[in-house]
Formats: sequence, C-alpha cells, structure tokens
Amino acid sequence: MIWPIIKKSIKEQVRNYWILLLTIALAPFFVFVYYLINEASQPSYDVLILNQDQGFVSQGKIVNRGAEFPLYIKSMVEETPEVPLKLKLSQDKAQALKQLKNKSVDALLVIPLNFSNALNDSFGQTPEIEIIGDVSSIPYMISAIWVGELLDDFISLFTGQEERYTINETALGLSSTISEFELWMPGILILAIIMIMFSATIAIITEVDQKTILRLKLSRIKAWQFLIGVSATQVIVGIISILLTLSVAMLLGFEMRGSYLIFLLIATLTSISMIAFSLILAAVMRSVTDVLIIGNFPLFLFMFFTGAAFPIRAKALFYFGDYGISWQGFMSPTHAINALNKISIFGLGLSDILPELAALFSITIIYFVIGVWAFKKRHL
Amino acid sequence: MIFIDHLTKQFGDLLAVDDLSLKVHEGEILGFLGPNGAGKTTTIRMLCGLLQADSGEIHWDKHPQNLIEAIGYCPQENIYWPRLTCLEQLIYVGQMYSLPRSMSEKSALKLLSQMGLDEKKGILAEKLSGGMQRRLNIALALIHDPPILVLDEPESGLDPQSRVLVRDMIKELAKRKTIILTTHNMDEAEKLADRVAIIDHGKLLKLDTLEQLKNSVGEGDLLEISIDINAKEERLKNLEVAMAPLSQSVTLFENTLRIRNKDLLGKISAITTVLKEQQIEYSGMQLRKNSLEDVFIHLTGRALRE
Ligand SMILES: Nc1ncnc2c1ncn2[C@@H]1O[C@H](COP(=O)(O)OP(=O)(O)OP(=O)(O)O)[C@@H](O)[C@H]1O
Ligand SMILES: [Mg+2]
Repeated sequence: MIWPIIKKSIKEQVRNYWILLLTIALAPFFVFVYYLINEASQPSYDVLILNQDQGFVSQGKIVNRGAEFPLYIKSMVEETPEVPLKLKLSQDKAQALKQLKNKSVDALLVIPLNFSNALNDSFGQTPEIEIIGDVSSIPYMISAIWVGELLDDFISLFTGQEERYTINETALGLSSTISEFELWMPGILILAIIMIMFSATIAIITEVDQKTILRLKLSRIKAWQFLIGVSATQVIVGIISILLTLSVAMLLGFEMRGSYLIFLLIATLTSISMIAFSLILAAVMRSVTDVLIIGNFPLFLFMFFTGAAFPIRAKALFYFGDYGISWQGFMSPTHAINALNKISIFGLGLSDILPELAALFSITIIYFVIGVWAFKKRHL
Repeated sequence: MIFIDHLTKQFGDLLAVDDLSLKVHEGEILGFLGPNGAGKTTTIRMLCGLLQADSGEIHWDKHPQNLIEAIGYCPQENIYWPRLTCLEQLIYVGQMYSLPRSMSEKSALKLLSQMGLDEKKGILAEKLSGGMQRRLNIALALIHDPPILVLDEPESGLDPQSRVLVRDMIKELAKRKTIILTTHNMDEAEKLADRVAIIDHGKLLKLDTLEQLKNSVGEGDLLEISIDINAKEERLKNLEVAMAPLSQSVTLFENTLRIRNKDLLGKISAITTVLKEQQIEYSGMQLRKNSLEDVFIHLTGRALRE
C-alpha cells in the first residue's frame, strides 16, 4: 500500500523540479563560492610606515634609508606577488595610531631617528625598530612576519650582516584584553538582524501567496508604500532580536565599549537594509515555501561572507577615498559588522564609522530601488 | 459607457478571449453568460487592469484615467486576509482607497449588516463558512462605494437565502451603479441582468436584452418531448417534417425534441397525434416559456457545461 504514495511523491517532487534543483544545488554552490572568494580575494595586509629617520649627508647627497625601505618593499611586492603587503605612509604618530585602532591598517612600523646612521656605522649602533598592532589578530601577525623578513633582507644589503637590529613589538592598547569570544560578537549581533530576511520576505510574499496582493493592484496604494508598510514591523523585530542577542552576549562576558545610541543606529540601519534586500527576494519568489528553500542561498551568503558567522577579510575591488569596497561589500551587513566592531570593541565614535554608515546607506538605497522595480515587474 | 474594443488574450496556444468587442451602458446590469472556460474571468481581469491584453482596448468615457479605481471587483475565488476579522479587513480596504478611518468603519458596519454578517464582524475571516466568505468578498468589493461593480460569479457557493439576499442587494445597487457580473447560471442571469452577453470560446456570440434574446430563438412557448432516440433516422426526419406546420422551429438534440411556437398549449393534441402517426414513443413532455437556456442552446448547439 505504500508504493502508490511513494510514486505520487516522486511525481510531485519531479514536477516541482525547481525546488528540487535548489535543494540539491545549495552545497555545490557554496563550494564554488568559497573557491571564488579564496581565488579572487587573496587578502592583502595593510602596513603603515612612520619614517622618523633623519638620514645623513654623504658626498653632498642626503641618504635616508628609512625612506628607501618602503620603496624596497614596493619593488618586492611588484616582483613577487606572493608578498601580501600593502603600504601606506604616515607623518604623524597620533594619526597613525588612530588608523591602527579603527582597523584601517593592520600594523604600524616606526623607523627610528638613527636608522640610516646605524646602518652606516658598521660597529656601533643597532637600530631599534618598533612595530605596533593588535597582537591577537592574525592579520597583524602575518604583517609582522613579512615586514620582519623584508627588513632583514633590506638591512643586510647595507651591513652585509643579518639581524643587526632589534624589533620591539608593542601591543596596541585594548587588544590584549579582548577575547576571541568578544571579537566574534559583532558579527553574531548582526546575524540576528540578517535573520529578519526571512520574516520580512514572508510578510511580503504572504500577500502574493494568499492573493490579497490583488487588492493592492486595484487600490490607490503605490507599490513602495505597500512594501514599506508591510515590512516596517520587521525593523522592530530586527531591533528586538539584536538587543536580545546583545543581552545574552553581555551576560556571558561581552563588554560594550561604545555608545548604545550608535549601536541602535547601526541596528536600525541594518534592519532597514535587510528589509530592502527582502524586497528583491520577494520579487523572485511566489510562495512561503519558496522563501524557506530559496532563501537559504542569500542567507548563507550573508552569514558566511560578511563576517557574521566568523570574522573574514576581503580584498578591496575599488576604493572610495580610503574606504575599500570588496566583493563582500555588496552585502550590506559587511559594513554593519565593520561599524559595530569599531563601536563595540574599539570604543570608537560616530565620526569613525561614517564611511561604514555611508556604505550601508547607499547599498540599502540600491537594494530598495532594485527591489521595488523587480517586485512591480514580477507581482504587479 | 465602457467600451471594450477587439480585446484578445492568448495563453500559449489557447485563445482565451478572441477579438471581443462590446459596450457597457451606464447604470445597467450586464451579465456575462458562458460555460466553464469561456473566457469570462479572463475578460474581467483585463477590464480591472489585472491582466494585460494581447491586443485591443478598454475605455471609459466618463473618467478615462480612473476606470480601475472606479471598479469594485469581487473575484471568482474568495480573496481575503485570513488573520484579519471581517470588520478589520473591510476597514483596511476602505483605507486603501483613501477613505478616512471613521467613514471606512461606518460603511464596513453597514455592509456587514446588509450581508448578514453582523454577528461575525469580530471573527477571523478564515473561520467563516464558505458562503459567508463569499458574502464578505462581495462586501469587500463595495466598501469604497465604487460607481462600477464587477462581480465574478457572485452567487457561487451561496445557499438559497443568501442568494436572495445578494440578488436583492445587487438590484438595489443597480439603481446607482453600473454592474457587470458573470455567471453560468441561467437563472441568475435571467433574474438580474438587463442585458446578457453570451460568450463561448472567448467569442461574443450574442449581446442583447433578455426579451430580444428570447425572441431571437422564437417567440412564445417551448415544448420539450423526451423521445425514444433508437427510432430510425428516416422516421426522425419525417417527424421533423410532419411537425413543421405546428411550430416555428423544431430541433432534436440528444433525446429531446424541442418545439417552439406561440400558444403551444392549444396545439398539444395535434402534436401527440403526429407522434402517434410517426410511431414515436415518448416518455415525457414539458411545456414552458422560452428561457435563456434555450437561447444558449440555440446559439451553441449544446447544453451548458456546468
Ligand atoms: N493564467 C492562465 N494561464 C493559462 N491558461 C489560462 C489562464 N487563465 C485562464 N486560462 C485559460 O483560459 C480559458 C478561459 O478561462 P476563464 O477563467 O476566463 O474562464 P471562465 O469563463 O471564467 O470559466 P469559469 O466559468 O469556469 O470561471 C480557460 O481555458 C483557462 O484554462
Ligand atoms: Mg471564471
């Protein structure tokens, strides 16, 4: 008696081939995405160099080894693309430390006053080079190893000796007190908001599913009014969700170092952004079942590649001023997580997260425009 | 007047609406009559702007820009928010048409009482019976007091009491509104419509007042005789010839012989004599006035596919 039921189910499953295909395709798709990300976004590490070297005069020419070192690194990077360093130069230590704190660079190398002189003096002085960074971060460690390696080669060019220098490592202010657990929290907090992707899409698609969208088509309501109206509640859901997550995190030892108001601002913007993204999802779906199956694709992307599930680094595709937009940067939570990192972990202020907020805002607008356009085209 | 001009809609290979043209007069009740799949709903959906026509035009001369807003549409299947109460959804739809909340509530309460849903106003729509949901749907079409009412099979699923209630209401509304309704129920069309458009296979077969439609198939009465169809072809032929002097038209469809004429009552004995002469057995005989069904059968050559 069970055979007819099996046969009927196979028939239905095959006729619903689109769903079947997606269910099967999810994991292979992610293998592919991981591959792409690993290939395309070989990360680079940003090193800031503060050159305090005074140099010396030899035969009427100024010699400044401290200024030559960055050029040496650049030439090495060009020759051997495996060297994953990207250099920036700084004039001012306070400014440099700030950049380090807000994570726009991974390590700061300070070249001392007597660098050139020490290299010239074959016996006496040993230059003392300072490298500063968040010692618990892997990007810092990788940067430091590469810089040390290159410094070694560079110095031996002039002295013919290896290791004729000392490197002092300085741990950046807070970093030694931040646990791994805390570093992961900003991502998880944003994940709480990413999850409203489902409830927001379902809220919209239910109107399509139960056909009440017809009443919208007949009435004076504009598509964008309807879409905002139906999904506005989800902003509240998002905020409740992130506050709940924050409470649990704080109960378990997470320390919020920045302003709660800014935290709320980020949460609100991210919720709105996820709703805007849900409009795009709703445009490609027809029923709640679709959402629960197809919705996993964007959910996984948003979870694993924005830094929500675990911290992630990506190579910038292009820059707005100093702010790099990577492939992952097209997913708005990436910026929210960056901003939240700066606020909750490094205790920075509003002015430090303006680029993140601007990116979050712009991407939200883009999502919204695409979403409304696509939804109208598909369902109205 | 609403002008429907050479409207055509194709779904794949199927021509659902085929070059359909007609005019709807202000203030009339126009019935679309046709069997399942005739293209009634498809036509209506295009009229309401819910479906894009492949070709053809719809034009309202009163407010050409505002036709869609001027329509109150009751779809064939019941569409409602399952988790809103009757009252809540009526108010909500009213507000979607920019009605202030208080006015929306007032007309919602009035409609609920007219539809006999007074006691159910606080009940979630999903908990209503099928017929109640139908009545709620009609109310939803009326909430913003539209000048044009489009009802796709308003009476489907209604019990006799509700049917009378809805019918009376439609008649009352017709004093102020233009109403288009579809049905494949002859009775409904006959009782309600001023004019009837008979549609099949997406084509308009005939559009006229009821009187004219009935007259077009022959004035007066109709006598239906159930006969033994196993009789020889030749004898059936003879029968038609022999009946000719007694009738305006004779048709034989399946096992029913239909004779139309004025004052058939006085001719029954003559007709039975002919049947005897031709040695045709008959099992029953029914005399009645011409009905819309006769018009339909005359036009399409078969009974409605109900
Ligand atoms: N979206 C669609 N896609 C494909 N075919 C369709 C679609 N909608 C309607 N049809 C077809 O168009 C034809 C006309 O359908 P329509 O719903 O207009 O009939 P109807 O006259 O309203 O019938 P009923 O009395 O059963 O409601 C039918 O053959 C139907 O199968
Ligand atoms: Mg229909």
